Amino acid sequence: MTDTTAPAGAKSARPSFSLRFSARDLTNVAIFAVLMIVVTYAIGMLGILSPLVWLAAVPVSVLVNGIVFMLFLTRVKHAGMVTLLGVVVALFYLLTGNTIFSTIGIIVLAALAEVVLWVGGYRSRWAAIWSYTIFALSFFTPFLPLVFDRENYLQSPSFSRMGEEYVAGADALATLPVLGVLALAIGVAGFLGALLGSAMLRKHFVRAGLA
Amino acid sequence: MPEIAAAAVARRGLDPRSKILLVLLVSLAVMSPGGLLFVPAGVVLAIALALSERAWSRIVVIPVAAVVMYLLGWVLPLLWTNPVVTVVAIGCGYLIRFVAAFGVGAHLIATTSPTQLSAALHAWRLPRAISVTLAVMLRFFPVVAAESAAVLDAMRLRGLAGATGLARHPILSMERFTVPMIAASLRASEDLSASAILRGLGSRHVPVSLDPPRFGWPDLMLVLALATVAAASLLLPNPLTTVIA
Repeated sequence: MTDTTAPAGAKSARPSFSLRFSARDLTNVAIFAVLMIVVTYAIGMLGILSPLVWLAAVPVSVLVNGIVFMLFLTRVKHAGMVTLLGVVVALFYLLTGNTIFSTIGIIVLAALAEVVLWVGGYRSRWAAIWSYTIFALSFFTPFLPLVFDRENYLQSPSFSRMGEEYVAGADALATLPVLGVLALAIGVAGFLGALLGSAMLRKHFVRAGLA
Repeated sequence: MPEIAAAAVARRGLDPRSKILLVLLVSLAVMSPGGLLFVPAGVVLAIALALSERAWSRIVVIPVAAVVMYLLGWVLPLLWTNPVVTVVAIGCGYLIRFVAAFGVGAHLIATTSPTQLSAALHAWRLPRAISVTLAVMLRFFPVVAAESAAVLDAMRLRGLAGATGLARHPILSMERFTVPMIAASLRASEDLSASAILRGLGSRHVPVSLDPPRFGWPDLMLVLALATVAAASLLLPNPLTTVIA
């Protein structure tokens, strides 16, 4: 692979498309990936109460992860780090039982977020905010099986007992529009989360010397 | 971490590579369309793995979660027809897949040390950036968990933790939890990454593992067990896909 001979401490002031990660870059990506996963799971734990709370918890974790992501962007020194973050988060979720749809979706969205960031020269605040809005859509990817595999759910025993018109009603009302609303809510939460994150950055982390 | 390495040598479990393959296989089987067929087999496998490492909490939690999902998703809609019950049932039909996949994944996370993981990923010729990052992540999880627990303790001491506070000021209580948690974790990670770089994390030489991944008899037993549960889930009647009359 191209990055087997990464020199330790290679730091370029100008963002470039080199994929030479220094050891410091890799540990930075790792710690922020862990923070994102822990925040997501900590808020997702609320979903154990009931699946309805579980749906509502997703936009909340998008909002809170905005803080983590915006802080991460202050440490991005060169191209590829956001994509790498997406790849390792996706692989971790794959190993803890997520769908392959979700894994591919997270990686693609992270690469798109990276492109937006690159267009903004890696230092633009608004590019960072839009970048997180795109990345936040990756929180919708675990629901993709509900979109592709809907017949299977609607034909499940619990459903078929409800009668035909009920299944038809649920098919029309309860699935795709609800999922669309959820996707929209996640997008809006991503934008708000990015704003919250940059506000938190100014309020706490710059002052503490961490940003 | 000499004690972890010593324990790994003393009681060898599965090869890390077969654990990773097992998790991928189970999550692909369970999450794919029609995957409910394999959920009972996955749950049995997850319980057996938890038994093999004597993880008592998981031995209790996995079956209880599976039974609760089954009762809410399959039995309750028969007894009580109600829109809310249906929504809960759909959610549980989705979540029961996660019980199986997560139970098997938890075994991988709990029993694989960062060095074992990076040796396994290196044996697969994965790009170094990805394998090193994944191994470092595995090392950071306990750190972040410890810092979160400390922040929660401090909040409890000041009477800030609790459901009422979270309901009344959601943004404020999220800020009070996440900001110190992130700051403390970042400070701890600075020390950890400095020590990792000192021990040659960024060097161009490939480290040699003291405990190289080897396939052994536990892996053979795993293959046999997998074949058995796969055959059983195809041949035996499945409570999740048959309608209760």
